[in-house]
Amino acid sequence: MSKHALLRLTLLATVLMAGTINLQAQTTPSGDSWQAGLVLDGAGTSRALELGRRDKGLGLGHSDLLVRGAFNEHFSGEAILGFHTEDKTLERHLENAWVQTRSLPFGLQLRAGRFASQIGYLNELHPHTDDFTDRPLLYRGFLGGHWYDDGLRLNWTAPTSFYLRFGVESFAGKKLVPEATADSRSRVTTFNIKTGTDIGKSSSWQWGLSHVNNQREAMVEAHEAADDDHSQSHSHSHAAMFSGKRLWISDLVWKWAPDGNNRNQQLRLNWEYAQVSRINRYADASMRHSSSSMGAVWKFNPAWEVGARTDWLRVNKPEEHEGEIEFGKGRLKENAIMIAYKPTHMQTLRLQFTQQRASGANDEGEAVFANPARRSIQLQYVIGFGAHGAHAY
Amino acid sequence: MLIKALSGALIALWLLGSTQAKAITVFACEPEWAALTKALMPEAIVRSATTHLQDPHHIEARPSLIAQLRGADFAICTGAELEAGWLPMLQERAGNPKVQNGQPGMFFAAEHVTLIDPFKGAITPFSGDVHAQGNPHFHTDPQRVKLVAKALALRLGQLFPSNKAQVDQNLATFDAELSRKIVMWEKQAAALKGRPVITQHASFAYLWAWLGLKPIADLEPRPGVPPTASHLEKVMALSKTQQPAGIIIAQHHDPKPGRWLANNLGLEGKLLILPATVSDEQAGSIIRWFDQLIAQLGGLAK
Repeated sequence: MSKHALLRLTLLATVLMAGTINLQAQTTPSGDSWQAGLVLDGAGTSRALELGRRDKGLGLGHSDLLVRGAFNEHFSGEAILGFHTEDKTLERHLENAWVQTRSLPFGLQLRAGRFASQIGYLNELHPHTDDFTDRPLLYRGFLGGHWYDDGLRLNWTAPTSFYLRFGVESFAGKKLVPEATADSRSRVTTFNIKTGTDIGKSSSWQWGLSHVNNQREAMVEAHEAADDDHSQSHSHSHAAMFSGKRLWISDLVWKWAPDGNNRNQQLRLNWEYAQVSRINRYADASMRHSSSSMGAVWKFNPAWEVGARTDWLRVNKPEEHEGEIEFGKGRLKENAIMIAYKPTHMQTLRLQFTQQRASGANDEGEAVFANPARRSIQLQYVIGFGAHGAHAY
Repeated sequence: MLIKALSGALIALWLLGSTQAKAITVFACEPEWAALTKALMPEAIVRSATTHLQDPHHIEARPSLIAQLRGADFAICTGAELEAGWLPMLQERAGNPKVQNGQPGMFFAAEHVTLIDPFKGAITPFSGDVHAQGNPHFHTDPQRVKLVAKALALRLGQLFPSNKAQVDQNLATFDAELSRKIVMWEKQAAALKGRPVITQHASFAYLWAWLGLKPIADLEPRPGVPPTASHLEKVMALSKTQQPAGIIIAQHHDPKPGRWLANNLGLEGKLLILPATVSDEQAGSIIRWFDQLIAQLGGLAK
């Protein structure tokens, strides 16, 4: 990152801090104040990961500048400007800019604008609250790490004693599949169910089932020689690396804390599984991409957490080779362990060790995942300024 | 086929929701406000989102709480940013227009009392859990509880006019009982005046101010920041010059730092682990809780 960019960021942080104080001074406790916040995520990585989003060396991970609040009794909104470094340059993108209703009856809610899809467990959560330095392979492979897009959402929360929510979303889909075949229809729709409740005083769970109907068929890339340097830059793509017409995700979260007091101790387990089918017009009907992620985090002290995660990804990568479409079977496994220190709720210092193994090749005998990191160490520091909003479960 | 089955299920759920009993349902962020609401409106269904064993700053926006807020006719919370980490998410997810900020169905107790120790200066990521509006743990002062009770009765009367007469009557009873008790508690705690204590977090700051106890040090280096070894050493050095009468922490705090300090200062019998709020949500529990606090603190008198 250039000195210039750093300077601008520091300036921004200062202005924000001052701004927040002002905002807070003006608000009454119940007032619908507007809040602003900045989160910076810096990390040092010993080796870039296959499908990873962080460069080797020092870099800025998913950071954001957030503004949120209520316009009136009927609408609230949020805007997020996300930024990170990529090959030593600062990349910016408008990640969120949406308006949501707050006064519809019967538990209905409508949202319009640009926002993160609510499919899966992690997708709609801010990446800076993640328990590991990189999102699971499932997200990096199928959703570009964090899929946000332009569209509409309608949710209905049922009047049940446990949580039950049904949601549909309709997106333009350009963020998921930027380059679609000319005859593709241009929408991506999702359907999502979320349910969950407590078990006794100490534990709680949530299960979600999501379906994505992706009408945008990705262009098949021309084959590139294996020694081509570009294989690395692909992993920086913000779009889905492996797509298809149908995507299913099942996500399960279970959390436990003694007497429900997660301040001092907490165990968090989560598992997500996804499958992509109908890869494209050339693929066999039985051909699939699939991925799984299982993670456990143990907070053993108010300021310390340890965690482990194991992921796998199986794909059939379409490639054009001398006018023929071929599918390369690739497998990638990733294991990570981490320890995190959170001295205040605005800071996290995390040390992570990640291990990747890949197998599978295309018809030319070239590995589908050419650059797995046998061992990689990440040291990450996340710091928040100003307001950062309440966290989801 | 699937769509038909799904829509059938949806309609069934909808009907189930709309035919449920029409008792007034109240969502309380903390058990003291649940107990207070229960005292004023005993026939309401009142549920607290948290218990006395939980740190109210660090609650997760769990699915069960979203469902609870979804079905509420009225919500009562502390405010002053105590629930900033979770209540806004519950409000956003629940899709319940009655309990959005600014609506009469969303009652913040902090709007009806003055707060002590507003944080002055720049809030940075290193400040800890500071509250620009002041200390939100004012339910440990019975005088402020009386003020909240009055404001709450007024609001309940406006929102549920058919219950107004009964709410007003219950308020009068509650207020008279509390006034009578305050005189008694002040007499009981007279010997505590001026006694130096070590505390953790400002959980009981209003109680100390009311009873005249003198907090000389906090186990937390900064509000909401877990005790560190170096900070505990400092507190220990300070305690040698100003011999504290006891160490007081809340039940939801990690007891290890307090225990360590008590052992090192020879204050083993003087470590009080108090409930930071009522342990049940019954109408009389606020008074029982103050009874318990005053009785336990009695051990620190000369």
